[in-house]
Amino acid sequence: MSRGSGSGFDRHITIFSPEGKLYQVEYAFKALKAGGLTSIGVKGADSVVVATQKKIPDKLLDPSTVTSLFSITPFIGVVQTGMIADSRAHVARIRHEAATFNFKFGYEVPVNYLARRMADLAQVYTQHAYMRPLGVASIFCGVDEELGPQLYKVDPAGGCFGFKACAVGEKELEANNFLEKKVKGDPKFSTEETVMMVIQALQAVMSADFKATDVEIGIVTTADPRFRVLSSAEVDAYLTRLAERD
Amino acid sequence: MSEQYSFSLTTFSHSGKLVQIEYALHAVSQGSTALAIKAKNGIVLATEKKLPPLIDDKSISKINLLTPHTGMVYAGMGPDSRVLLRSGRKKAEAYFRLYKDPIPVVGMVKELATIMQEFTQSGGVRPFGVSLLIAGYDEKGPQLYQVDPSGSYWAWKASAVGKDMVRAKTFLEKRYSDDMDLEDAIHTAILTLKDGFEGQMTEHNIELGIIGPDRQFRVLTTAQVKDYLTVIG
Repeated sequence: MSRGSGSGFDRHITIFSPEGKLYQVEYAFKALKAGGLTSIGVKGADSVVVATQKKIPDKLLDPSTVTSLFSITPFIGVVQTGMIADSRAHVARIRHEAATFNFKFGYEVPVNYLARRMADLAQVYTQHAYMRPLGVASIFCGVDEELGPQLYKVDPAGGCFGFKACAVGEKELEANNFLEKKVKGDPKFSTEETVMMVIQALQAVMSADFKATDVEIGIVTTADPRFRVLSSAEVDAYLTRLAERD
Repeated sequence: MSEQYSFSLTTFSHSGKLVQIEYALHAVSQGSTALAIKAKNGIVLATEKKLPPLIDDKSISKINLLTPHTGMVYAGMGPDSRVLLRSGRKKAEAYFRLYKDPIPVVGMVKELATIMQEFTQSGGVRPFGVSLLIAGYDEKGPQLYQVDPSGSYWAWKASAVGKDMVRAKTFLEKRYSDDMDLEDAIHTAILTLKDGFEGQMTEHNIELGIIGPDRQFRVLTTAQVKDYLTVIG
């Protein structure tokens, strides 16, 4: 088996390249963009809102079964971006971890703990050659009793960071540019403003005007910490209010 | 390590080098700079923490507590450092459970170094892409160690790892003295970081950790870091 200096297996499994990079991990990041979707998350003063595009690739598909938003526990939601099959496997694992925590310790798993745990599992795939990294990034949202609204992003490299606002996917660069301007100076957003900002961010990257059926929006607030997905009627109401505001 | 790969991915090149380890060191030298200084009565760990603007800087830290009397900082791949942090903490607990005594600093270092070496020889795994600076205070006094991806470790009076390590070490060599006080060491650490810092240094883009004669390792709060920065001006 040839293990050449760099030209060997460093692109096939997670060993170092001569530049000190892990090509498999970098390729996993490229897979995030493969689905053609972009997801956004924004943390407000007393709410966290996550959203993603909803593309139904085939008219014969039942749209109610196509989703990237998943509730892990009644209080934690996650939006998955990237390869669909990896997403589902990943969500199953996240739910397992959350349920195990609750079983062992007797209380709901905190968002930051869960995010950190999934990131540590993702890191294992970057160091052990027998499993490839997953082609998904997860944005976790929830309200922590002590720390308040929480927004965490976990990527295929095992990176885990808390965010004021974040974006993942095909148009993440444009979305991040948009969000950076908005959160400059650390403003405190109300729930209404947070939802609006998420919608505006999506509009900025989707370039076309979209209808309520083109997006999925999930929300948790300190007033109602249960993760829920907004109905099309609610999304419509926000879109109308946004249009009237402009 | 894993059942599927029974052979090591890190093997000797014809010139006798372990190139995977060299590449891992390359990964370390791309990480943001971390440094440490041992004073006569304590140790300071310092690091740049340059994060993209959208990240909540309170959510992560590069400097972490291993045990109440030891702490570490790394340069290189964050996710890899978390594995070592977790393992280190578990090994320390296991030691305490057996001996009912806190693990000596050099014992902690040896555990981490052993893990790192194992990943350069076991089947189906790659070396860790981090260098660690471990600070601790036990009966032998304050001690500072550096552990590299190969698993080799050395005790240092002062050291730096990461992007800027060459310049930082040169700076430290000039300023170091054996009878430095912990407060002097903290000032010198901040000055060393500042010397190579791109942009404005604030309490949000650096991190400081100290251990003094009280033998309690602490990561300084942003308020405390700000106080030091104000003094330095």
